[in-house]
Amino acid sequence: MRLRLERRLEQRWWHTVIAPVGAVLAALVVGAVFLAIEGFSPVTVYRELFKASFTSAFGITDSLAIATPLVVTGLAAAVAFRMNLFNIGAEGQLYAGAIGGAWAGLALGPHLPGPLAVAAVLAASVVGGLVWALPVAVFKAWFGTSEIITSLMLTFVALYLMRFLIFGSKSYWRDPAATNFPQGRKIAEAAELPPFGTYRTGWGLVVVIVVAVAVWALIRFTSAGFDMNVVGTSPEAARYAGISTARVVLMGLLLSGALGGLAGGIEVAGRAHALDPNGLELGLGFAGIVVAALARYNSFAILLVAAFLGGLRNAGVALQTLPGERVPVEVSLMLQGAILLFAIGAEIFVRHRLRLVRSGIGPAAGVAT
Amino acid sequence: MGENHTMTIRSRFGRWRWLLVLSTALGLMAAACGSSSDDGTDTSSGTGDSTKTSEATADSTATSEADGAATDSGEAIKVAFVYVGPVGDAGWTKKHDDGRKELEEALGDKVETSFLESVPEGAESEAVFERLAREGNKVIFGTSFGYMDQMLAVAEKYPDTVFMHATGFKTSDNMGTYFGAAEEARYLSGMAAGAMTKSNTIGYVAAFPIPEVIRGINAFTLGAQKVNPDATVKVVWTSTWFDPTVEKEAAQTVLSAGADVVAQHQDTPSAGEAAQAAKGFWVGYNDDMSRFAPDAWLTAPVWDWGPFYIKTVEAVVDGSWKSEQYYGSMADGLVNLAPVSDTVPQDVRTQIEDLQKEIEAGTFAPFTGPVAKQDGSEAIAAGAEAPLADLLSMNYFVKGVDGKIEG
Repeated sequence: MRLRLERRLEQRWWHTVIAPVGAVLAALVVGAVFLAIEGFSPVTVYRELFKASFTSAFGITDSLAIATPLVVTGLAAAVAFRMNLFNIGAEGQLYAGAIGGAWAGLALGPHLPGPLAVAAVLAASVVGGLVWALPVAVFKAWFGTSEIITSLMLTFVALYLMRFLIFGSKSYWRDPAATNFPQGRKIAEAAELPPFGTYRTGWGLVVVIVVAVAVWALIRFTSAGFDMNVVGTSPEAARYAGISTARVVLMGLLLSGALGGLAGGIEVAGRAHALDPNGLELGLGFAGIVVAALARYNSFAILLVAAFLGGLRNAGVALQTLPGERVPVEVSLMLQGAILLFAIGAEIFVRHRLRLVRSGIGPAAGVAT
Repeated sequence: MGENHTMTIRSRFGRWRWLLVLSTALGLMAAACGSSSDDGTDTSSGTGDSTKTSEATADSTATSEADGAATDSGEAIKVAFVYVGPVGDAGWTKKHDDGRKELEEALGDKVETSFLESVPEGAESEAVFERLAREGNKVIFGTSFGYMDQMLAVAEKYPDTVFMHATGFKTSDNMGTYFGAAEEARYLSGMAAGAMTKSNTIGYVAAFPIPEVIRGINAFTLGAQKVNPDATVKVVWTSTWFDPTVEKEAAQTVLSAGADVVAQHQDTPSAGEAAQAAKGFWVGYNDDMSRFAPDAWLTAPVWDWGPFYIKTVEAVVDGSWKSEQYYGSMADGLVNLAPVSDTVPQDVRTQIEDLQKEIEAGTFAPFTGPVAKQDGSEAIAAGAEAPLADLLSMNYFVKGVDGKIEG
C-alpha cells in the first residue's frame, strides 16, 4: 500500500472554507500541545486569548488597530501570489512606503488641509512602495530573475536605509530636537489619520476596507485584472491569447509593491506619526503572507483573517499578564507560524486528494479517477 | 490527468512515519489533558533560567477573575513592569525582573506584580501601557528609553496611575523617571580594562549614540587611562539594545581590529563569548555575567533595582509618592561593581576598591577636570566637577576614544 496525492479534477466550494478553517484548528491543536508541554492549560489560554481580543470594545479596537496594516500587506501578498509571483518583500516595501509617507507628512503636511495632507502621505507611501518593487518587477518580467530573492534582499536594504535615516545620520526625517535619543520628526497633525474617539483604531481601518474592495473590483471587472488572472492560472494560455506576459508580470508586482508601500503610509499616518524604526519593525509585511495564504487570496476573506490575526497578536500582551497563568509572548507568534504552515499544507489538499493505493499497482493506475 | 500531476510521497514519508507522528501527537494531547486538570499549580515563565518565585505560589484561583476589572477584594496593589527584552536576557531586563521579585518578596500579599517581556519601543507600546492602566495597575514601570512618549501620553489619560520610566527625562504629575550614575562603576571597570590591555586598544560595543551611552564610554575611558595613559577605546555602534547576534558580531569586529579587551553597553553577554573565543578579556554590564565567559571575564557595572522598586511602591501605597527624577548611585546602592576577577593584578584591584570607597564617600567623581575632548579642547576645567545636567546631556567623546558620535 502506498499513499498518493492526486490532483482533484474539480474543486468543491466547501474545500476553500474547510482548508483555512482546518489549518487554524490544526495550528491551535499544535499550539495546545506546546502549551501543555510548557505546563499551561490550553483551554484557559485560548479562552483568555479570545476574551482579551474579541470581547470588549477596547480589545476589539486594539485588535483592529493591528489588523489595519495587515489587511494591506495581506492584499500585497495576495495580488502577487495569485499570479504565482512570490513577492515576499512587502516588509521592505512597507519601510520604503513609510519613508515616502513620512516625507510627505513633514514636507507637504503643514501646507495642506486635513484630508489632502493625509492623501499626500498615502500617495507618497504608494510611490515609495512602487520604487521598491520596481527593480523586482523589471528583473522578473524581462530577465526572469527570481522575485523571491530580489524582494527579500531589498527588504534588508530598506530596513537599513530606514535605520540609517534615523539612527545613523542627521537626515530630514530625524528630529533635531531629540538630542537624547535619535527619533523621527513628528509629521504635521493634519496628516494624521484620526482615531475613533479614545480608541486606538481609526480612519485607517476605513481606508483599508476601501482598498480591499477596490483591489477586488480591479481584479474582477477590469481587463488588466482579467489578464492577471489568465497569466496566473495559465501562462501558456495567456501567450496563446496574445497577452504580453512581461507586461502583466510587471503590473502585478508593481501593484503588490504599491500596496506594501501603502501599509507603511497607513502606519505612519495612523500610528507612528513619524518615521519610527522601532514602531515599524513589527514584521507586518511578513505577517501579510500568512493573511493572504489563509484567505486564499480573496480580498474579503483577507479582511476577516486580518482581524483574526490582529486579535492573536494583540492577545500576546494580554496573555503575559494573566494572573497565575503567564504565557510568554512567543506563544502567539508561534501560533501564527503554525497557522501559516498548516494553511500552506491545506492548500495541497484543496488541489489534491490523498488516496491509499494497493501495492503492486503502478503509478499509471492513478490516472483513472 | 497525466502522470506528472500524480505524485507519490511514499519514498520520503512512509506509512510508518505517519503512524509515528500520529501517536506522538496523541500522546502529547493526553499529556495536555492531564496537566489542564490541575490548573496552574506549576507555572513557569517559560524561559530557561527562571528561578522559582512567588509566581508559582500566587493564588491560582485568580485565573478565573482575570476580567481586567478593578483590583480584587484584597488590599493588594497591582504593579506592572514592561520590559524591552526577554527576562532571560541575562542582563538589563533580568536585573529589572530580579528587582520585581524582590518587591514581591518584600511586600508579600500586599502587592500583585505582572510583567511583559519583549515589548517593542515606539508606537506599539502605547497600546501595552494603556491596557495595563485599564486593567487596574496602580504603578507601571517601563524600563526602556523608547517608551517615553507613549508612557507620557497614557499617563495623561490615566491620572490615578503612577508611571515610572527608567532612563528617560520627561515627567508629569503622575509620571516620574529613575536611573543612576552607572558612570561611577564604568570608571572603575575601565581601570580593570586599562590594566589588562596589551595592545592598548579596548573595544566598546555600544547601542546608541545618546548621552547615557556616551557618558558610560567617557567614564570608562577616563578610568582606563588612569591606570594606563596610552589606552584608547574603539567604539562600535549596534543600533540595538538587545540583539545577541549583532552584539557578538560587533565584538568580533573590534577584536579583529586589534582590541584585546571588549566592554559593552548592551543587554546580553554575547560580547563576552566573542572575547573568550578570541582569547581576549571582557567587561560586561548589568549583572555578574562571569559564567558566560569565565576566562575573559574581568568585572562589570551592575544594577540593583529591587530597593528602589520597594521604596516606590511603598510610597504609592501610603500616599507619599511624588513625581521626581531619581538618580541613584554607588552610594545608595542602585549602582554596583561586580566582583573583580582574580585575573586582574592585585594592586589594580586594591586601587579599584580604594577608589570605590572614595566614590561612595563622595570624595571622588569620575568626571573631574581636567578632561579634554577628542580634539584636545577643554571639556571640564581642572579641578572642576561636571554638574549633573551636563552629564545627562553629554554629547562629546573624551580624548582617547576612537569613534564618532554620529554614524
